[in-house]
Amino acid sequence: MRIRVDGDIVEDPLADQGDSLLAVLRRGGRTAPKAACGQGECGACTVLLGDRAVMSCVVLAAGVDAEVTTAAGLGADDLREAFADHVAFQCGFCTPGQIVRAEAVLREGVHRTREEIVRAMAGNVCRCTGYVQIVDAIVATMEKRRAEEPECDRR
Amino acid sequence: MRPKVVGTRVRPLDWDAKTAGTARYAADARPEGTLVGRILRSPYPHARIVRLDVDRASRVPGVRAVVTHRDLAPGVVYEHSGEPYSDRPPLAVDRVAYVGQEVAAVAADTAEAAERALRLIDVRYRRLRPVLSTAAALAARATRVRRREGGDNVALAVSGVWGSAELARSRSTVTVGGSFDYPRVTHACMEPNTTLAWWHDDRLELWTSTQASHFVVHELARVLGLRLDQVVCRDVAVGGGFGSKSKVSEHEAIAGLLSMRSGRPVLVELTRAEEISATKPRHAFRTTMRAHADDTGRIRWFEAEVDVDNGAFNHYGPSVMRAGIKQIGSLYRPDAVSWSGRLIDTNLTPGGQFRGYGAPQTALAIECLVDELAERTGIDPIEFRIRNANEPGSVAPAGARIGSARLVECLESVRELIGWDEHRRDRHPSRGLGVAVGVHASGSYAYPGGNVSAAGIDVTSAGEVVVRFGGSDAGTGQRTILGQIAAEVLDVPIGRVQVIMNDWDEAPPDMGAWSSRGTHMGGHAVKRAAEAMAERLRALGAEKLGTEDVRLCGGRVEAAGAAVDIGELVALAPESADGRLRIDTDYLEERMEPYWTGIPNPNISPSYTFAAHAVQVEVDEDTGEIRILDYVAAHDIGRAIHPGMVEGQIIGGVVQGLGAVLGENLIYEGGRVVNASYLHYPLPRSTTAPSIRAVLIEGPEEAGPYDAKSVGEMSIVPPAPAVLNAVYDAVGIRFHSLPLTPDVVLRALAEKRGAPRRRHHLFRRPGRWQIELFRRLYPLGMHAILHRFGTSFARRRPPRPVRRVVTPASVPELTAALAGEPPGEVAVVGAGTDLTTQRAQGLANPHTLVSVTAVTALRRLHARAGGVEIGAAVTLTELARWARDRIPMLADAVETIASAQIRDVATVGGNLAQAKRCWFFRNGFDCYKRGGATCPCYAVTGDHRFHHAAVDAHRCQAVTPSDLATVFAALDATVRVGDRHVPIGGLYRGPGELRIGPGEFIESVSLPEPGPERRGVFEKLRLWDGDFAVVSLALDVGLDAEGRWHRPRIVYGALAPVPWRPAATERALDGRRPTETELTTLIEREFERRAHPLSGTAWKLDAAAGLLRRAARRLNGDTPEGGDDDA
Repeated sequence: MRIRVDGDIVEDPLADQGDSLLAVLRRGGRTAPKAACGQGECGACTVLLGDRAVMSCVVLAAGVDAEVTTAAGLGADDLREAFADHVAFQCGFCTPGQIVRAEAVLREGVHRTREEIVRAMAGNVCRCTGYVQIVDAIVATMEKRRAEEPECDRR
Repeated sequence: MRPKVVGTRVRPLDWDAKTAGTARYAADARPEGTLVGRILRSPYPHARIVRLDVDRASRVPGVRAVVTHRDLAPGVVYEHSGEPYSDRPPLAVDRVAYVGQEVAAVAADTAEAAERALRLIDVRYRRLRPVLSTAAALAARATRVRRREGGDNVALAVSGVWGSAELARSRSTVTVGGSFDYPRVTHACMEPNTTLAWWHDDRLELWTSTQASHFVVHELARVLGLRLDQVVCRDVAVGGGFGSKSKVSEHEAIAGLLSMRSGRPVLVELTRAEEISATKPRHAFRTTMRAHADDTGRIRWFEAEVDVDNGAFNHYGPSVMRAGIKQIGSLYRPDAVSWSGRLIDTNLTPGGQFRGYGAPQTALAIECLVDELAERTGIDPIEFRIRNANEPGSVAPAGARIGSARLVECLESVRELIGWDEHRRDRHPSRGLGVAVGVHASGSYAYPGGNVSAAGIDVTSAGEVVVRFGGSDAGTGQRTILGQIAAEVLDVPIGRVQVIMNDWDEAPPDMGAWSSRGTHMGGHAVKRAAEAMAERLRALGAEKLGTEDVRLCGGRVEAAGAAVDIGELVALAPESADGRLRIDTDYLEERMEPYWTGIPNPNISPSYTFAAHAVQVEVDEDTGEIRILDYVAAHDIGRAIHPGMVEGQIIGGVVQGLGAVLGENLIYEGGRVVNASYLHYPLPRSTTAPSIRAVLIEGPEEAGPYDAKSVGEMSIVPPAPAVLNAVYDAVGIRFHSLPLTPDVVLRALAEKRGAPRRRHHLFRRPGRWQIELFRRLYPLGMHAILHRFGTSFARRRPPRPVRRVVTPASVPELTAALAGEPPGEVAVVGAGTDLTTQRAQGLANPHTLVSVTAVTALRRLHARAGGVEIGAAVTLTELARWARDRIPMLADAVETIASAQIRDVATVGGNLAQAKRCWFFRNGFDCYKRGGATCPCYAVTGDHRFHHAAVDAHRCQAVTPSDLATVFAALDATVRVGDRHVPIGGLYRGPGELRIGPGEFIESVSLPEPGPERRGVFEKLRLWDGDFAVVSLALDVGLDAEGRWHRPRIVYGALAPVPWRPAATERALDGRRPTETELTTLIEREFERRAHPLSGTAWKLDAAAGLLRRAARRLNGDTPEGGDDDA
């Protein structure tokens, strides 16, 4: 099979057609998404499939029909910098998934309350930070992007 | 001079790699030819190994090495705590002592070959009677867990008195006491333990996830028979430690051995199930304590007996127990502390090091009892603690020589910030405030060498500064603060500093990051090395600039009117080599006294940190849920090197501590961990405690580098007692154990109310007799027989690859694809989220997958006259979006399912068809449903409090997990299966089991048009945000202008094997506007008549009644109390 990942092509023989997207990504050397729980409960493997954030450990690779974006190909420098400035990571293992998920949330809209951000991130486990600084970083990025929106788009 | 870099919020040095996902963790470095390593573990808690033959396994194609204890030196054990406690062999020799103990290991070209080989290792066990609790261990004639001299199951017993018990007794006038249980909890590091080992050129090179390469190097050299310089760890990113990786995690040596036998690099990555069930959790403590005070509110005496569940091997149990006891003698200023401790052997997973190291366990008892003392003496809990706070310059009973101490300031800070006085004045029902404090060391001299560190600094000719440090940063930010200290001393921009850690080829050895020593020991070591480098650079600069009056500034040596970049000085130093000027220095901490040399009350740490935490909770008396409304944590940290990182350590520790209060707990069945998955182990989420404020109380500390004291472990000590005290303040019940799951809270509330026991009149219900008989026979031997013998006939589904994925585009094509395929060989999938999981769990191994996602007809949401038809391939997100303004109850229900990422792909059909979530069934127990009729239902006698039925269960006690099924039932949905239109109530024949024949599949769900007056409410009790329902309720009624209910539909999920309607209650409510009392009376009457709970599911009926009251309040437009709206 061939899938587009971060602008490149990843090819895989898919000897087991039931393999997850995560398995294919990691075999292909794309190590930003992490294997942590293996059952779609922690979000460390989150990638964008098209514009949707999905848990790649429970998505069938064989069914992938859109471009895959991992944290490494995401861009989102403002969000990454906000994570740095708010110390929104410690061990960093869940961070690529947090950032991909947060970017998907922000792309859906930058007019959200802090509580909505808190809820939107509930699928991504972080064992280190206690989440407060992660939410701080996302909210700060959201506010910055909102301020940068053209006047007519503001609500 | 004010520091420039120290004390500021610089970006973490590794921020770019970690946020882009390019940081290299152990599993990411894969040299060519890396093999997959897998470990065979004991399935029994206690057994003799009578045969261990790896011959067939070795002959599996692709297998490069199979190792057992025979590949190691006879009698070799890990050093761990040191003699006489060393007891654990790297691979079991003739006996296994817990489920999960390593027996053999395989390295192969592929995971499939490795797993096949594991299955072919021939091990015969003779089972021995296991000891599965400390109580059983201490019982007369208990089996011996280990052969040891004392003959009993006590690995170590200690006792003593600090201070004068006589004096303490004579001054005490008020006494409180109790036994407090802190359970086994797991670290749940996001990165599972991982080691890549590569034996080449007579050396073992390791990329391993560790907090302390020191212990990896020493233990591997010991058990593999190598010299210390033959083992080297490389610098990798480490995905969390929390103590678990502060010593060896017992897979590193196996990876090393496999590599030595195969001559190839070998990667051993533990699965999440192994990580949770086979690595060392926090030691469970029972602390029985009496606390005494005088009338003025001065604490006079603590008397404590501590029983520690050691598990199957000693590891660091002796020192964890001692550290826990030391906490009792370090906090406050009692006249005396009388203590004893027993380290008790059991056939459970051995306990290990976990953040806080014994202190959270004993602090639970101290801080709950101190709260009681405050109440008994009529003093405000914060004021009481202020009166007893440790004072600067004092000596604690256990020997701690306290330097700076700002516990009073911490208490005053949390009092103000949480609004303590205002909240206690203006009380809100069901809400309460609690406070707790703690003390922790900054490093400890508990092991030889614990008082030394070392560091190296290089300056390159390019002017870069390279800090070389032998410890490891598992996520605490040590790498950055060491860089800050070097930048500060050398006055270089932080951007010119890099820090290499862990790799002893590069850096001088350090013992690593444990016992809160990272900042103190590492900070001093780097500071000293940097100071030596600064001196050398100034000397070189003076020579170059021709004046003695020079200073370091901005990466240059400056003098009046002249300056030289430090990089240019490198070449001037004769000792420079390869464009680098290198300096290595040692650091010896002289303020510490050793723990083991007989000094009676040693001062084991150079400084002590304090903290006060205050929390406001709300207890939902309908469901037993505890919500954390607000949390303030003030820490006496000396001065922060990096305030943002200190705050992160505080908040992270608080949330980890809250996890142990709100739900975390390893649950065992027959010695085996039941909840070894993130689905069943309730970790805190972003919604658990969104409001936490960390407060840094700063001031001088003479011992610390730049006044810094420790923080990482301190923060996990107070949360549990703070919450318990707050819960008492809210509902007047003093809990003495963790976790406070809803069942525990609701049961206690019912007991407090004096609620009568429900009578289910089984003698009048012949339909339940058979099940009742089974349930009674189970503990009388039926369970044991089925478990022991029945499971040998269990059906197994060996893993195999899926050969084919078919993606039909239309319903006829889909039907054709399924035609003639035997069940089990083919699976219909939506997104496949549950199928992927079931394959990993050994529950499914289909040959062919038929995907419905491309069938356009099934992806439609189709509004028609009289209702709507929802295609089976519609995603949950699409359904919620459609339903939001039309059927809010349905949207609400969908949004409680799993996570947004899952809802975006998971389909309606997949949700309805998913298999039960019973933790025995899912997590590998050969149960009745997994293994077949000869197997037991483990839930009958096992822990069945959450995901099992209280109504109508048969031999399987599980429930249907689909929330959609519950809400669809309330909406009178019908399901289209082929030509059939099945009412949703008829879709299920059992828990998560569909009444669907071979070749059939769910096509769509039809909902009738709801009447304009219909109002619906969905309520769900769950253990964590995203979890399946423990109990859920969909209530849909016709509501008239007077608030009367017409044709109410009440559907409970997760209460019975299938969605369940209390029909009599529905009838009785028709046309009424019920009061809460009426609702409760009616539903309780129906529960009495129709429920048949297990001992542990009876509480779910209380929760179910509570959900009904809550739903009724929401329906009547009362302000919603909590639920997801508060998240």
